Amino acid sequence: MKWIKLGKIFDPTQHRMPNECVQFAQSPQALVFDGYVRIYFSTRSVDLSNGKFLSHIAFVDMRDNLSEVIRVSDKTVIPLGGLGCFDEHGIFPMSVMRHGDFIYGYTCGWNRRVSVSVDTAIGLAISRDNGLTFQRIGDGPVLAASLHEPCLVGDGFVKVIGDLFHMWYIFGTRWHRSSPDAIPDRTYKIGHATSFDGINWVKEEGRMIIGDRLGTDESQALPTVIEIDGRHHMFFCFRQSFDFRRNKDRGYRIGHAWSDDLVNWTRDDENPLLDVTPGDWDSDMLCYPNAFEHDGKVYLLYNGNEFGRFGFGLAVLEQ
Amino acid sequence: MFQWNKLGKVFSPQLVEGRSWLKEFAQAPSALVFDDFVRIYFSCRPLADGNAQYVSYSAFVDLDRADLFKIKRVSEQPILSLGNLGEFDEFGTYPVSVIRDGEELRAYYAGWTRCESVPFNVAIGVATSRDGGETFTRLGNGPVLSYSPDEPYVLSGPKIRRYDGNWYLWYIAGRKWKLVDGRAEPVYKIRMASSSDGIRWTKLNKDLIESRIEEDEAQACPDVFHANGRYHMFFCYRYSSHYRSKEKGYRIGYASSSNLIDWVRDDAKAGIDVSKDGWDAEMVSYPHVFELDSKTYLAYLGNQVGRHGFGLAVLDGRLD
Repeated sequence: MKWIKLGKIFDPTQHRMPNECVQFAQSPQALVFDGYVRIYFSTRSVDLSNGKFLSHIAFVDMRDNLSEVIRVSDKTVIPLGGLGCFDEHGIFPMSVMRHGDFIYGYTCGWNRRVSVSVDTAIGLAISRDNGLTFQRIGDGPVLAASLHEPCLVGDGFVKVIGDLFHMWYIFGTRWHRSSPDAIPDRTYKIGHATSFDGINWVKEEGRMIIGDRLGTDESQALPTVIEIDGRHHMFFCFRQSFDFRRNKDRGYRIGHAWSDDLVNWTRDDENPLLDVTPGDWDSDMLCYPNAFEHDGKVYLLYNGNEFGRFGFGLAVLEQ
Repeated sequence: MFQWNKLGKVFSPQLVEGRSWLKEFAQAPSALVFDDFVRIYFSCRPLADGNAQYVSYSAFVDLDRADLFKIKRVSEQPILSLGNLGEFDEFGTYPVSVIRDGEELRAYYAGWTRCESVPFNVAIGVATSRDGGETFTRLGNGPVLSYSPDEPYVLSGPKIRRYDGNWYLWYIAGRKWKLVDGRAEPVYKIRMASSSDGIRWTKLNKDLIESRIEEDEAQACPDVFHANGRYHMFFCYRYSSHYRSKEKGYRIGYASSSNLIDWVRDDAKAGIDVSKDGWDAEMVSYPHVFELDSKTYLAYLGNQVGRHGFGLAVLDGRLD
């Protein structure tokens, strides 16, 4: 297997976006429609009260060729949560899937803390208008911190296999500092939960389903799972927990694992299927993958440098 | 009909010496009866930090079983450390509810973290003790009961009970943050969850006690006691704004149930109110009922929600 890069396909600075967002198109998530592909992503506005960012969901509809933009959402797709709610300060990302006549959006909601920058949890919002807008099923999350997953539950990716909903997501294992005066950084790992209705979930509770390649300080994020030739493949991103923002040798890369039973995953990214391209938009970083099928091909959306500040790109699987 | 005859304040944290972490407050008393003493767990605070922010610890005081106004011992250390950086209980463990489980003791407690847009958030943790309740160790670094679609924040005030082999947790869940004079004040309601092992909980997802004094009435400390074939709940309630006053502050309410799920509120039966003067003249709150040597006692807080300690009352009449 190998990914063939098709280049950057969306640059947020070239489009007008809702919620006064100007940069960032992070964590692209595809939903295939008849005749076009809708790609949800998280963009950012500035919180005027303190200059911090607020992440908002927007989407772009692209023609079947995945290179031509039809339109960018011009309205709020889902408002941020209310005062004190888990998703008050941002939704990043939102993972979408069809379920019956509706579209389920699993949100990763952000809320700011005092001793550390943030905590997150996973919410569910449902669209009944073909994905233009989403309404939460409640003010609180469907998946949050628990006994052995103490913080930072987020990045839910949901797929129905057989009669069961499967969610792959991340949970924080700890906050720590690279030196006594440093700002705290987080480490998170990929976990798994199942559900009969997509609302009430049973976690594997603290089981890190993907082995570390960079040691215990490896942070793993944004799992996406797709079946290819009868085998389940997971793509995700991983990095060091410290000094990962500017040091390209410690920043995000795309990881890969496969499973035949959805229980045991074999990590297989010693020789990456997708790697950085020197001098290009993804020269320093590769992150936030989303795999999907379209017109008989398997594609991977992903972000490059600066966590997607200037957009996302596409690759196609060569089998 | 019944009423509670007040016996007076039994414990004053300001009188304890040599404990920098126990300077003020003795909140949410919870009793555990031993052979020759009654251990009362409570939550306390060191002095506020430079930003006027508190942390809270939980501790215990042992009262002489023969004379509950005789203090035998105050715990030398908090029963539980604070949580690690970024964890749900980094800034407080309050309140705590302790129950025996075979050779062990189990404590359910509310863990506090600090937030940016609202002052705090709270979730419920669990810890066990193998040394007779002197120290507790967390079963995990995260909460055992956390947020869900209908319970978005502020899960606090756990009260753990076991009936017919099942575990029951009464607690409160935040309903809204209300801006009062520019300050975010939480409104919370009494809720319940059940479990076969005390670890995996099923929430009832229902307000148990209808609001009486206003829609945004805040309800706390759902203390359930079984007597005479019925379940009795004492709790406290307050107005949503300006509640740090006598007029709008905490009072103790009462409800009863035959099945643990459907409760009939009747505060007129609570049998306790503020005093004319003294330590509980402005508020009464955080009730806890326990039985000892054929008598039934109520531990509770007075003014400023226990800043100056807790008191006892004894039941006169019959809970039915």
